Amino acid sequence: MILDLHAHSIKSDDGRAKVQNYCQWIKTRNIPIDGFVLTEHRQFDNESDYSDLAAKHGITILKGSEVETEYGHVLVFGVTQALQEAFDFTNIHLALADVIAACNAHGAVAVPCHPGRKRVGMAAHLEEHGVPSGVNIVEVFNGGSRGEEDQVAQEMANEQNYLGIGGSDAHIVSHIGRCATKFEDTIHNEQELVDALKAGRFEAIKLQQEAS
Amino acid sequence: MSVNTIADVEFGVELPSISPDTSLANVKRFVVAAGWDSPRFTDHDAAREQGLPGALVPGIMSQGFLSAMIHHWAPAAEVKLVDTVFRAPCIVDEQYNINGVVTDVDEDTGEVEIDLTVTNEAGENRVFGTAKVLIPLG
Repeated sequence: MILDLHAHSIKSDDGRAKVQNYCQWIKTRNIPIDGFVLTEHRQFDNESDYSDLAAKHGITILKGSEVETEYGHVLVFGVTQALQEAFDFTNIHLALADVIAACNAHGAVAVPCHPGRKRVGMAAHLEEHGVPSGVNIVEVFNGGSRGEEDQVAQEMANEQNYLGIGGSDAHIVSHIGRCATKFEDTIHNEQELVDALKAGRFEAIKLQQEAS
Repeated sequence: MSVNTIADVEFGVELPSISPDTSLANVKRFVVAAGWDSPRFTDHDAAREQGLPGALVPGIMSQGFLSAMIHHWAPAAEVKLVDTVFRAPCIVDEQYNINGVVTDVDEDTGEVEIDLTVTNEAGENRVFGTAKVLIPLG
């Protein structure tokens, strides 16, 4: 099963894509993914229910978040009400250690994203802050990467023995599915996604070599 | 194919890409006309002294290129909104492609949404966004 683990909708401040148009795009263009995870910036979207849309199109639509720490941006999968009460998702100065501790306490997974990117990626902060403990997975393929950013991410993952996921980081409709993650398991919900990530049964894949 | 009415528009269709003139001379003409004449747009060395990678193509000029692409595709379109996110600078004298693809069509109102990107020769997105345009109902 292939999921794009990093996408934004109009719920994010810089997102311009409506979720129904992501679905329409995937089907019309035969994008070879089975679903995607909406990782809205600095929030968890408690309001939206995409189950009817998912059923209509036969696409798995899950929800996560993208929060901000001193090591850059971090995807969070398996968000629960208890996790939302454990730290302030809107805080742009979160401590990565606190995010990881909260995720571990509440059955979620934290994954630093676009780690090869300047300023908002983890690799840029290793010299200042050191290698953080508790990171097991990083995003090695990001659809918005420029230049050598994915290479930097991959090299850091190799050096630190991290597993790698892929996500498009789509903010507009036509960018969904540029990168994704291939799972051995079939995933129906956020809990199964967390289980598969913790089990390490996945690999990052690039579905488009060049941005459209 | 030039689009005249909403019946000509299909979801997922790509607009003909354009490669705009981002030469120093053309950018100079634009910023003078716009009242934005500044060395950061017209002088590579002066821009580098300000910490920039080179003279910049102004954001409103990139938006103009995006609108021009839309009107080249659909001359009768009314551009209601060009909403852009600038992820990386566009540098004067470098080559860019202006791209668009239809991502929503309302056949009742004639409103069309278009994904927009400005990509460099490496295929990297420097600017992305969306446009909302009205196409005549016919």
